[in-house]
Order: sequence, then structure tokens, then C-alpha cells
Amino acid sequence: MTDANFITSTAAGPQGGGAGGDGTDGAVIETQALTKRYPGDITALDGLTIAVAPGITGLIGANGAGKSTLIKILLGLLTPTKGRAAVFGIDCAQQGERIRTLIGYMPEHDCLPPDVTATEFVTHMGRMSGLPATAAKERAAESLRHVGLHEERYRLVGTYSTGMKQRVKLAQALVGDPRLLLLDEPTNGLDPAGRGAMLDLISRIGTEFGISIVVASHLLGEIERICDHIVAIEAGRLLRADTITSFTGASRMLRVEVDEGLQALADELARRGLGPRRQQRALLVPLTGDATYDALRDAVADLRAPLSRLELSRHSVEELFRDPDLTEVPDVR
Amino acid sequence: MSADSALPGGAISARSVIHDRGYRRYDGPRLGRLQIVRALLWHSFRSALGIGRGAKAKILPVIAFVAMSLPALINAVAVNKGNGQIVTYESYLFPLRVIVLTVFVAVQAPELVSRDLRSRVLPLYFSRPMRRGDYPLAKYLAFTAASLLLIELPLVLLYLGTIVSSKSGAIWPNTRGLLAGLAIGLMWAVLVSAIGLALASLTGRRAYATGVVAIFFFLTFILSQIIYQIAGRGPGGPVPGPGKGQFITPAISAGQRLASLISPFNTLQSLTKWFAGVHHIFQPGEGPVPDPGSYAPAYIVMFVALLAASFAILAVRYRKAGVA
Repeated sequence: MTDANFITSTAAGPQGGGAGGDGTDGAVIETQALTKRYPGDITALDGLTIAVAPGITGLIGANGAGKSTLIKILLGLLTPTKGRAAVFGIDCAQQGERIRTLIGYMPEHDCLPPDVTATEFVTHMGRMSGLPATAAKERAAESLRHVGLHEERYRLVGTYSTGMKQRVKLAQALVGDPRLLLLDEPTNGLDPAGRGAMLDLISRIGTEFGISIVVASHLLGEIERICDHIVAIEAGRLLRADTITSFTGASRMLRVEVDEGLQALADELARRGLGPRRQQRALLVPLTGDATYDALRDAVADLRAPLSRLELSRHSVEELFRDPDLTEVPDVR
Repeated sequence: MSADSALPGGAISARSVIHDRGYRRYDGPRLGRLQIVRALLWHSFRSALGIGRGAKAKILPVIAFVAMSLPALINAVAVNKGNGQIVTYESYLFPLRVIVLTVFVAVQAPELVSRDLRSRVLPLYFSRPMRRGDYPLAKYLAFTAASLLLIELPLVLLYLGTIVSSKSGAIWPNTRGLLAGLAIGLMWAVLVSAIGLALASLTGRRAYATGVVAIFFFLTFILSQIIYQIAGRGPGGPVPGPGKGQFITPAISAGQRLASLISPFNTLQSLTKWFAGVHHIFQPGEGPVPDPGSYAPAYIVMFVALLAASFAILAVRYRKAGVA
């Protein structure tokens, strides 16, 4: 709720975790010149060097950028061709088993058997994480409660909606009390409301539970609001790694659509120094602060333009990096 | 609360914030890899017997156990009425074993492996503190244990029934027979479950997996019988007469002795008869599977080869499945 609480709990998180080892002050994840080539000369990762701090980190990249490969290397399931990766200072290639006691993993794809109840499934997965039988039961119930499944948890998973299934996938990642959660496209297949709920849940886990989270996604606009840091990769290379504010500062855009008079509005916005860009049937205006909204409102009012849509533009990462610095892109007619 | 009180003083206030929000850390003991594998083994063993999977899952295992145990009960009644033992410990009732095991393996092996492949749950296993080979190993040991139970529980019933019903007792010969039967049962369980799991792991579609396993076992079984018949008709074949079904008749051709190699079940039965013949524990039963005689090494090689091939399939299958 309040920022102060978030800070307290975030700081307390690593403190409470005995198993995390030396991950408290240093990076949660570190890779050095990490390279992975698959047979057939396909390069999934190409000299990737990153350091991920505690907190919630967005791992942004288009499909095929190497996100899933990176996650599998971090889990110790794939051996890198070159370079090294470490989680909490533990080498992924050498000590995969040990690392996997510290990580909860939520895959991108469906991974739930339909003919068991959520309780049974998450309990079993808790056992597989190394929890004794009784503890597995208790933690399964708790994890399902945390992700917002209550009475439904006694129903067969096959009867669940996509949103509920995503929650079960998150619960099974959470059941072993991990120090780090790796979530691969957690909002996949969800409607806008479901996406919002899932993101809120992830944000809550990251800030209140004191668990570091890496969220892999191809939509920066979607996950930017819950992330502390962003790591963007493309074709297996690091594009940019930074805190969320510096990352999105240059990229926040307002998308304006009018039923008619688009050109007139573009001229008016340009006259007011907003630097609009045309994108198909809409205008993109760099958002620099509240003043942008005011200027935009005035421009629309002065022109009596039939405004039909005004929204924060959702960038996919490809779009973002096509124009590295959007503020310098001149007005496009 | 107990988790909090266990902490050194400094951490309490910081942790209480988290605790108020409802998330509790797990501070208890964590099991090692071997114990995790054991848990998976136990879970899979129960699934193979339909335990913990709802009423419907229990139907087939129960039918299999009842069908397999019937000869033991009939034998007990027969012995009680003064007849000799009608079912042997070594091969029990071979045709019944073939039918019940084929159905059991064809239906339950996919239950253990195809389900997980179909629902793509394997990455969840492999992202936990176990090694790649642990999963197929646990599944194999669990399924072998379940098959072993299905094969050997009736043997124990047969033993108890015979001892209790028999007027003369004869505990020692029966015990010796039982022990040999149990050892042979282990050989059966080890091979049949390996083949069943390997074939079932080839596809995530359960119906296909069941079909593949059933067809493999039945087809090889029938083929083996046909070849036996053909081999028997050739020059140097048996002369018609009382020789049929006898232990070692000179009339059994080399082709007939080798025909059983085609089928895993007949291979097992051949080895069973070979052990029986060598050790003279049993009177070998009748049937189209002859004692392999001097061809026994071929059957041992076949047994090992089938086992190795099954393990190889499982190993390759799960090396790929874990990364996908």
C-alpha cells in the first residue's frame, strides 16, 4: 500500500532467507559473456553479460530473442556454449541442483495435468521441491491462497479458466519458498483484466514477500509498471539494462486518435512543441510530464477535434529499439 | 508465529511486516535429491495401482489383480479336495499372465509417463532439485514394483492356499517353489515394465500409447506362435504322437526353440523353462514355448538387449523432453 511498507519488506526479504547465501547485497543473477549455440549454427545467446539486482526485473525481448534459453541456463538445464552464469553467486552449470532449490520456475506454456485438483498438484510439486509431506500440504494451501484460489482449489484443474491455470502455475513455482522466481510470459493468454490481476499479484509477491522476480515478456508496456529494473535483449545480445525510470523515460508515448482532422491536430501539436509522430491513423506524442497532457487537451479543445482515443502507448520492445531515442525523431508527416 | 520466534532478535521486527501480509517463509527441513526421487517413486507407484486417482482409475488394477489371483483360489480348492497342485509357481498360468500383464502394462504405463508428456509437466520436474535421469528412473522403479506386486501377490496366495488346504502340508517343497517363482516373477516385472514404459514414453497421447504397447506385446506374441508352428512343419519336424508338450522331445526343431525370441513374453517363458529345466525345481508346463535347451544363451542375450534398448529409449526421450 504505502511505499514505506514496500521498502521495509523488500529490505527484510533477503534477511529472512537463510538459503539465499551471498545473494543479499550482490546481484541475484550474473552472466558473463554468456553464449549458447544450438546445433545448426543457431545462436540463441551471444556474449550476454548482465547483472540483475534484487527486486522485480523485467526481461524484455521479442519472441526468439533468447529469453527462454537464458532461463534454462539459469536453471542449470542447458549448458552454455561459452561464458558463465550464476544465481546468488552459485554457478549454474556446475551446481544446477543446488540452484534449483532456490528458484521457482513458471514456464510460458501450459504445464498442468487436467485430471488432478490444484491442491493435489501443488502439493506434489512441493514434494518435488524437497518439502516433507506435511509441509508440502501446508505450503500448497498457502501458495494457492496467495495467488487467490480458495474453494476452487479442490476442483480438477481441467475445469479451470486460463486465468486460474496461470495462478496455479504461479502457485507451484511459489510452493517451495524460492529466493528467486523466474516467470516466463506470465500474462500469456489472459484478457486485459486477467493481465492486470496477474501483474498485481506478481508485484505483491516481489514487494511484500521479499522474493526476487524475473519476469520475461515481449511487452515492455505491459510489465513496466511492476518492474524495478529492465533488461532488454535482442538476438541474444544485451540491448540495455537499467532501472525502470531511466528506461521508459524516453519511451513513454501518448497515442491520440481522432475521427477526423488528424493532419490539423498534428500541425497544432507540432506548433505547441509536442513533436507528434504519425503512426497509421494515430499520432504518437512523447510524454514528458503532466504538461504534455495539458497541452494535448488544449490543442484538441481549440481545434474542437473529435477525439476518439487517448492512451499511454504500449510499446513492444521491437518498436522501442527501432528508434533508440524517440525524442529526437523529427515530426513525421 | 513459531517461525518468527525462532529468529534472532534483530530480524523479528523486519520480518513481522512480511508476516502481517500473510507470507511465511519455510524454515523447516528440506529433503535431498534421493528423498525427492523416493517421493516421486512412491507417488508413481500409487498411480500405477490407481491409488489416489479417483474411483475410475482403480477399476483396471482391481480387475487385473482379481483375474491374476483366480487360479490361486481355484488351486486352493482343488488341493483341498485332494487333487494335486494344478498351478505351478514358476510360470503360474502362462496365457493368463500374458493377457493380464499386457492389459495392465498397456493401460497403466501411459498413466505413468504419457500423462506428464501430454500435459507438458516435465519442465516443472526438471526445474526442481533432481537430475535428468531421476525422473525416468523413479517411474521405472515404481512401475516395476507395481508389476511385481501384480505378478507375485497371486504367487503368495497360491502358496498360502496350497499350504492351508493341503492335508499333508509339504511346506518345504512349496516354499522352495515359491522362492523360485518369486525370483522368476522379478525377471518378468523388470523386463515387461521397461518395455511398457519405453513404448508409452514415445507418445503423449494416451490412447496411442496404450495401442502401441498392446499391439507390440500381442503382435510379437502371435508372430512367435506362428513361426513356431511353421518351424514345426518343416523337414525334421515332429512326428505326430505323444511327443507333444513333453519336456524335451527330440522332435522339437531348432527353429521352434528359437521362435520364442520374437516375443518378450515367450522369451521370458523360455528363460523360465530353462531355469526350471536346469535346476529341476519344476515340472515344466505344456504349451507352445519349448525349453530353449542349448539356445538358452540367445534368450539371455535377448533379455539383456530388450532391457538395454528400453533404457536407451527412456534416456534419449527424457534428455530431449526436459529441455523442450
